[in-house]
Amino acid sequence: MLQVNNINVYYGKVEALFNVSFEVGDNEIVSLIGANGAGKTTLMKTIVGINKVQSGNIEYNGKEISNQHAHKTVYDGIVYVPEGREVFPQMTVYENLEMGAFSKKYTKGEMDDHIAEVYDLFPRLKERSKQAAGTMSGGEQQMLAIGRGMMSDPKLLMFDEPSLGLAPVIVDEMFRAIIKINESRKTPIVIAEQNAFMAMSISKRTYVLEVGHIVTHGASPELLNSPDIKKAYLGG
Amino acid sequence: MRKSLKGAGILLLLVILVVVPIVDKNTYHHIVLCQTLVNIVVVTGLNFITGLTGQMNMGTAGIMAMGAYSAALCSTKFNFPIIVGFIVAILMGLIVGKGLGYPSLRLKGVYLSLTTIGFSEITRLVLTNWVDLTGGTMGVQNIPWINLFGNKLDTSFKIYYFYLVIAILVTIASYRIIHSKWGRVFKAIKDNVEAVDASGVDIAKMKILAFTLATVLGCFGGAMYAHMMGYINPTTFTQDLSANYLAMMMIGGIGTVGGSVLGAIVITILPEVLRFMENYYWLVFSTIALLFAIFLPNGIVSLFTGNKLLKRFGRTEKSFKGEE
Repeated sequence: MLQVNNINVYYGKVEALFNVSFEVGDNEIVSLIGANGAGKTTLMKTIVGINKVQSGNIEYNGKEISNQHAHKTVYDGIVYVPEGREVFPQMTVYENLEMGAFSKKYTKGEMDDHIAEVYDLFPRLKERSKQAAGTMSGGEQQMLAIGRGMMSDPKLLMFDEPSLGLAPVIVDEMFRAIIKINESRKTPIVIAEQNAFMAMSISKRTYVLEVGHIVTHGASPELLNSPDIKKAYLGG
Repeated sequence: MRKSLKGAGILLLLVILVVVPIVDKNTYHHIVLCQTLVNIVVVTGLNFITGLTGQMNMGTAGIMAMGAYSAALCSTKFNFPIIVGFIVAILMGLIVGKGLGYPSLRLKGVYLSLTTIGFSEITRLVLTNWVDLTGGTMGVQNIPWINLFGNKLDTSFKIYYFYLVIAILVTIASYRIIHSKWGRVFKAIKDNVEAVDASGVDIAKMKILAFTLATVLGCFGGAMYAHMMGYINPTTFTQDLSANYLAMMMIGGIGTVGGSVLGAIVITILPEVLRFMENYYWLVFSTIALLFAIFLPNGIVSLFTGNKLLKRFGRTEKSFKGEE
């Protein structure tokens, strides 16, 4: 459903992505692994339209979406959940979720349904619905960021470092939630992670990025056993 | 409990605003009070773009000047009815808002501050030098009184009550906007622009909308000012005036209607109260303003909402420096 063909992306004069091709099929989880600065975030931001493509193109369900404004891409159904728990600290949990539905014109009933769905996935958020998002723990904020991403009925979800800086128990919970979203909604998901083992073990396919190049890609279980990947990303 | 207290406070403020001009018959005081109401309208507008959305608008003086001159010239040079002047002022606000907002707000950073300072200065210089149209430094004289259904508002006392109604309507409208979907997005842009992007909001469009609200109310306030004073000239609309409006917004309390109203009242009236200090009044006023800024970072309004300390977990400071 999403096809990225040979894109080159620059930050000013510095090239960040070199001839990157990337594909997401229906209903699959794809992981994107690589060290800091490899270009994982850049690739996601480019897909959603925050970064511009210099050459190459991005197609989504056969429609060209390269260099489209981010708000249009979100409207088309591609949602990007940024890294570092980007929530609105001064708003309540409930208001944060409402913000996620900005691009849709929901009736009151539809809005309630969507919020109920998020609360169902993360019951913790329901308990805190009236609390300012900035006062919650890191894990709760990450749950909220994911929940907000789900509010606009996404057709494709992209999570950037969902486990960044979280306690191991919370990391497990987060990945369980991601699997649940994929299974219950049949939404394809892209996860960019430094926690390569986690991401690869829940995904069907994996792409490995190194300084702006895709160096390998393939079925996750195979890559998990490949000696090179083990050495570079899984700690021996 | 808190809600009824808030209601009581607003009612008390209203009663004071209604009663004071009746008790105090001094005409000069009436003019100061009218000026206060004009300032409430302008600051409420400025609050949308600078207070809520966090984009520094330094050109309030120029915006007001556009409104004031539009209205004044319509009724003096072209002999249109006064209502037409007000409508032209509002249209001028729309034009300035879109025209200045479109090039400067699609980019991140300090561009709005720069373009608004430039715009304000250019406006002032054009008004000073286009003598045929604007009268140059002599200004526009004999701006007619407002005629309301056959009642001529020919004293500051009468104008005051008309402007009071306008100010109340503007305040209610802006309260409604702040608590709507729009208002929430304005705040969100200041809070965390990355997350707004991810929520599928057209950020540029929303910023331009907030700025246009500010320019429309600014121009409208300018028109109110022109018809209240009966005489305008370009030297009123300097950078000092723009800074003054920013001070009102900050000292009153950023991002809230209550803060804008209280700030406008305090910063307009306080210097007049301090006039008995003669040569030193401006020094004393500035010191008081500074103390407010240090000890009440969330503004005078925080005395009533109990939110005195700067929010520790927010990103307000960062977004205020224009880094976004």
